[in-house]
Formats: sequence, structure tokens, C-alpha cells
Amino acid sequence: MASPRTARRVGATLVATVLFLASAGTAAAHSASLRSASESLSVPQWLFLLTGGAVIGASFLLVTFATDRSFVASIHEWRRPLAGRWLDTGRSVGSTLGVVALVGVIVAGVAGPETAVRNPAVMVVWVGWWAGFAMSAYLVANAWPAIDPLRAITSRLPTAGLEYPDRLGAWPSVVGLLALVFVEVVSPLADDPRLLATTIGIYAAITLVGAVAVGPPRWFADVDPVARVFRYYGRVAPIGWGGSGFELRLPGMALTRWTDVDGPGEVAFVVALVWVTTFDGLVTTAAWGDVAGWIVDAGVPSLAVYAVAMVAGYGVFLGVYRSAARLARRTAPTYLSAPMLARAFAPPLLAIAAGYHLAHFLGYFLTLLPALGAAIQHPIAGPAAPVALVLPAWFGALELAFVLAGHVLAIWVAHAVAFDLFPDRLQAIRSQYPFIAVMIAYTTLSLWIVAEPTLAPPYL
Amino acid sequence: MTATESRPESDPEAGSSPAIDPDLEFDVPLDASAVECPHCGRPFVDERQRDLHVGLEHGDAADDAERTAFGDAIEIEREDLRLFRLKALAVLVLLYFGLLFTYSIVT
Repeated sequence: MASPRTARRVGATLVATVLFLASAGTAAAHSASLRSASESLSVPQWLFLLTGGAVIGASFLLVTFATDRSFVASIHEWRRPLAGRWLDTGRSVGSTLGVVALVGVIVAGVAGPETAVRNPAVMVVWVGWWAGFAMSAYLVANAWPAIDPLRAITSRLPTAGLEYPDRLGAWPSVVGLLALVFVEVVSPLADDPRLLATTIGIYAAITLVGAVAVGPPRWFADVDPVARVFRYYGRVAPIGWGGSGFELRLPGMALTRWTDVDGPGEVAFVVALVWVTTFDGLVTTAAWGDVAGWIVDAGVPSLAVYAVAMVAGYGVFLGVYRSAARLARRTAPTYLSAPMLARAFAPPLLAIAAGYHLAHFLGYFLTLLPALGAAIQHPIAGPAAPVALVLPAWFGALELAFVLAGHVLAIWVAHAVAFDLFPDRLQAIRSQYPFIAVMIAYTTLSLWIVAEPTLAPPYL
Repeated sequence: MTATESRPESDPEAGSSPAIDPDLEFDVPLDASAVECPHCGRPFVDERQRDLHVGLEHGDAADDAERTAFGDAIEIEREDLRLFRLKALAVLVLLYFGLLFTYSIVT
């Protein structure tokens, strides 16, 4: 899902397919352009990482200079209501489109060309939906509830009226997200249209059963991981639901509503969203290959190694985030509870997740856009030779800028939330120390992954 | 720079104690002494945090002593912030020249 690696894989397939491109090297640039951006700087890796961490630290220090409460509030409280009459039309058009796309993807996945880049199912799902549509969710507005074909179908079915256990909260969606990304990492989901169609079919079947059991509103609010991903991305967007109607706000500023994340399961989901991107990149590093090789040689099945690494790494991420929340109680100091602080400061992480998503997928999306168009025009026979856009060299720098922008947005949002929560402004600033330390560590880790050469995940 | 909180908590006309924000959740250690807000009961680590909170959240319901305490607390807060800014600036300068220096050696 959160797949820069898929991006690279489809990218590589594309490069192999597109014969008339003069230089395969330039075309390959998109897939690892974050990496090439780091390589084009003629500095050693440790200095590249140090600089990345320093930029985050410096951004935090700069943000702390904004200490006027009314100024901080004026930024995140700026709202303009939007008229919503066109929404009902949009909803019916959207859901029709969604159902047609779902059927089309499954048919094309089963009957279309076997080459990933010529198959409309692979192109629509990875390029159109997971890259392009997801971007629109955090850059414009989350339209997924209006388009989601499974929601449209299940809302027309009777429900069994079973009770959804409240104590489960958002946890099923956390498990769902981790499971989806695990499948994506260990299987050729982006290379094999048949497998993709099967996976979507299974996902649809589970959703139909679940939504009929507990009712679609509850299912899509609590259990469905995809709906939750888009809902959370939508909070980064400048357009969104403001309680009584749609509203225009500054990008990311809806994240300052710290009551929006209201349970430990939701915190866990936000952390999972950040973790899966990291895991997806981590398994392509040479270091992972060494460690995994050592364990697999000792006789452990490779799938188990991947599963344990995914769950254990997620545990570490969640543990570190929760420790930061506990530590914030002392650095502030405050008597607000640690779980409450963890909830209040979770939304800013969504800006970081969106920043990484944009950095990974904008280039991928633009490069493969012509191939997407061509594949849709010839759904079953497949286009003869897909065209790829070649991105200019400065695009890598742009991608680093997206990562940075996500972090700066997150720092500002956390700053605003802290000002809302604490009466003393220096207390508000101090409450951020543990979170900023974690953010610096995370940035350094991410930049290291990005700067490492990308290998195919071994033993799969 | 004063009371511009987004959540309306104080009700000046009623004059009674408005409820503590139900979204806030507290965890006061058993052996710790908490200073409570006389208006809503929210616990604080020290008087200064409480005084600032009373001025920001219950400005309309505050009595004269509380207003004076708020004024004093704001003064100290400003002083603290001024010192913090100086330190932050120093760290920024160090970071900048530290990196500049490192880059000039390495590359």
C-alpha cells in the first residue's frame, strides 16, 4: 500500500518495457529520485543525515519564535464555509464511477495483459488510485466516501444488525492496514495483475460480509483500513467537513483539532501509517538483506522473518511514540495524562505521512500517467508500447522539499495544539521536546533508507 | 495576547464554576501536590500555571486578586520566553555555523 517499493518495481518494469526511450537511465530516475537527490549532493552520507536532522531541529526552534497566542490561533482557526449543493450529485456520480472502476479492475486484472505496465488494473489501482487519488485526498479533499464502491454496494444491502464491540475501537483497522502492507511487501502485488484482482476480490468479500454484519456506517468508521487512511489524509487537506458543512481552511490546520483522534487504537493507526512507509523502504536496504539472510540461514522461514520484523518494528515505533508522550509530561511539566497527550499530538504525524507519500508518489504518478491513459484505452488487448514521462533532474530536490514541508507542517500543528492545551507558553514549547527528538530520529532513519541503494527484498 | 481561546469555557453571567473541559484527561501522581483551578478544578503543577489558566480561560469570572496574579504570571512568562528565544537563537547560530564549518571541511 504505502509503497515506494511498488513504485520502483512498476517503474523498473516500465523501463524494461518502454523500448523507445533513448535512455533507460533517465527513466529509472523517477523511482529512486529521492535517492538520486541525495547522491547528487557530493557529501558523505552521515553529513546528509546530520543535515536532515538539523533541519528538523532548526524548524522547531524557528516555530517557537511564534509565541503570540492570537497569531497562532488566527492561522488554524481561519475557516471559510463552502456551499455543498453539488455534493449530492457528486456522490451519485462518484459511487457509480467507483463501482464501474471496481468491476473494471477485477475484469482487467483477470483478463487483461499480463505485463503490469500494460494492464489497466495495475495502472488504475497503483497509479490512478494509490498514487493519484490518495494525493488528492490530502492536497484537495477526501472524496473517498463518495467514491468507495464497497460502501456504495453495502449501503444498498440489508444489515444483520450485529453489535460491534466498542472495546475493539480502531484496532481492527490497525491490523487491517498492517496486513495489507504485509501482503504488498511479500507478494508481487504490483507486478501480477491476476494476484491483484484476487486480492481485491478477497478484500471486497471481507468488506461485504463485515459491513452487512455490523452495518456499513460502523464498518467504514471503525474497521475498514482504507477508509480510515483516506479519512486521515483528508484532515491534512484544505477542504473538509467542518461539523455543519464543508469548509475551506489552510492546509493541515484541521489537524489542530486535537479531539479528532479519540482512542488508543486511533493513535496506533496513525503510528502504523507512518511505520508501514518506513517498513516498505527498510526491506529494500542491504542491511536488511544481511540481517534477514543471517536469520533465514539459521532455518527460519522467510515469511516469518518478514512478519516478525513488521510487527516488532511497529511495536518499537508505537512504544517510542508513547514514551515520548510520557516524557512530555515531565518536560512540560503537566498533569495531563500520557494517553491524552499521545492522542493530542498524533494528528501532526499525518502531515508527515502525507509529505512522504507525496515525495514517493508524485514523480511515479506523473511518469506513469501516459501509461495509465493508454492502458485504460486498451483494457483487454493492452497498449502497444506505453509512453513514460521523463522528469527533469530537479525533481529529486522537489521531493526532498515535500518531506521537509510535511515535517514543518507537523511541527507547526503540534505547536498550535500545545498552545491550546497548556496555559504557560514556555510549558507548551517544552512539551514538544520529546516529540521533536523522536521526529529528528525518524527523519534521520527515513533519509538513511532513502539514501541506501534499493535492492529487491530478499528471500521472497 | 490575552484571552483568545477557541473553546468557550467560562460563563460570566452564571458566575458558577464552568465544568472542566471533558476532553482533557488527567493523571496526578498520588504523592504529588496539585494546584487546582478554583473555577473548573483543573489540576496544575504550580501556582503560576494555574494563574495563567485562570486569566486565559476564566478571565470574565476572575476576581481582582486573580487578575493581579494573572498579570504577574504573564510578566514572568514573558521574561521566560525572552530568555528562551535568546537560547534558541544561540542554538540556531551554532547549528548554522557548525554545519557550515563541517561542510567546508568535508567537501
